[in-house]
Amino acid sequence: MRRILNGFRLFWQGAILAYVALFHWLRPIQYAASKIVMPLAQMFFFVYLGTFATGADNASFYIIGNALQIAAVSGIYGVTMSIGGERDAGTLPYLFGTPANRMLIFLGRAFMNVMDGAVGVVIAFMWGVLLMGLDLSNTNMAALALTVFITTFSTCGLGLLLGSLALVTVNVMFINNLVYFLLLIFSGANIPMQNLPGWIQAISSALPLTRGIATARLLVGGASLSEVGPLLWGELGIGVMYSLLGYVLFTVFEIEAKRRGTLELV
Amino acid sequence: MNVRTLIKYWRTVLVVTEMTLRMNFMEPFVIFTVLIQPIVIALLGLWMLQGRGAEGAIFVVVGSGLTGLWSSLLFISGNSINIERWIGTLEFLVGLPTPFEVIVFGKNLANVLQSLGAMILGYLIAALFFGYSLTIEQPLLFALSVLFTVLGFVSFGLVIAPIFVMNPGVQGWQNAMEFPVYVLCGFLFPVALLPGWTTPISYLLPPYWAAVALHGTSTGGATFGQTLLAWGMLVLFSMVDLLIASRLFTLMLYKARADATLGLE
Repeated sequence: MRRILNGFRLFWQGAILAYVALFHWLRPIQYAASKIVMPLAQMFFFVYLGTFATGADNASFYIIGNALQIAAVSGIYGVTMSIGGERDAGTLPYLFGTPANRMLIFLGRAFMNVMDGAVGVVIAFMWGVLLMGLDLSNTNMAALALTVFITTFSTCGLGLLLGSLALVTVNVMFINNLVYFLLLIFSGANIPMQNLPGWIQAISSALPLTRGIATARLLVGGASLSEVGPLLWGELGIGVMYSLLGYVLFTVFEIEAKRRGTLELV
Repeated sequence: MNVRTLIKYWRTVLVVTEMTLRMNFMEPFVIFTVLIQPIVIALLGLWMLQGRGAEGAIFVVVGSGLTGLWSSLLFISGNSINIERWIGTLEFLVGLPTPFEVIVFGKNLANVLQSLGAMILGYLIAALFFGYSLTIEQPLLFALSVLFTVLGFVSFGLVIAPIFVMNPGVQGWQNAMEFPVYVLCGFLFPVALLPGWTTPISYLLPPYWAAVALHGTSTGGATFGQTLLAWGMLVLFSMVDLLIASRLFTLMLYKARADATLGLE
């Protein structure tokens, strides 16, 4: 029992501190710029572009896709910087010198970003309803909330994998930016999956967001939770897979860095 | 700063431009902002606007190139002074007899020129990957529009850079300034789709007039008069921006010397 409580304390305190450390240098107004204004502007851009391309009747397709894609802001950048920040701040040796459970440390980094990412998606949906005319009257809101949470979790799983790379490369922001923008294509946020080449569809099926966006579109169209269950389970599985892969890489890089004595080096 | 200063220090401008281009080729963030991000946006645009055929494709190619120009201006040119501060060379540059704004002009010129590569890459992708047969309807006017665009963007960058140095709070809004300009300046869709109250805001942005000139001459959708108006507005904004930049650089350097903060965050 004591071990469980210690583990929970380690997880929770690590999560809180990592999140605070991530934003300690930001003023609230700058946080608002990144979490509220930027997602809104991105949504407007792709919604206007999409309706210009395919007609105003398809606006909800782009609103839903881009609202959920906002999860990638916290999932990729937030989680990666929470892990990579340890190296930048010079605290990596202290972290690896502790006997603390690596899984709890690792997942704790992602937890608050999952919450923050979900809030960002909710805000994006709110913009969609208030400013772009998204109709949620036929939507099972509880199922949509579950979809948002699971999609954000799966995106954070990808962020954990990318965060592990931050331990071994200084070009992690290049990788983050690349993945974030490629997700705009591969996730189906702006292009119906059936319109994309087969090889892109194959890659998309192994990425977060794809099933989550498809689920959200079905829910807004009136589908029930049971109808979208397989997609949600798939999205959850994707998130678990990326989280585990990221944890394995994290452990491998730690062992390798200790063996080579390159903990603080490129 | 004025045109006479630029002409007097033309060699400095060229050397700074060349050195900046060489440094930027090795910088991952620059490569992403200037090449990869516009290419991804081009791919998105080409797939989304597939139904519009070759005319839509050239519109996307030019528009995605403009997104690269603006992102480069915002993130790279906007930080052109801060970068020198971060690597510890700002004091040396300020101490030179060459006006500091001439050096920043050269850096901005390099950033804008390398961004034009995104437009060329977008053209190649549209032609080779999507199989479009792309033609620029008014090539001579398009080439002149590119020159006016370069002038407009470089001048605008000279205003942004000192503002970001003097107001770190404004720089914190960089991420939030990227997509609004894509929307308001009509890079990938006409501004006529936007609410009417946004039109005056569009008119006040130099990238809007660059988009009007480049889209109009590439698709042939603009009359010569409309193209002339866009050029005229780009020249006007450039003159105004150079005047404002001159004042801002004087203020920035005075403030840095008075506060002894030239080398500090």
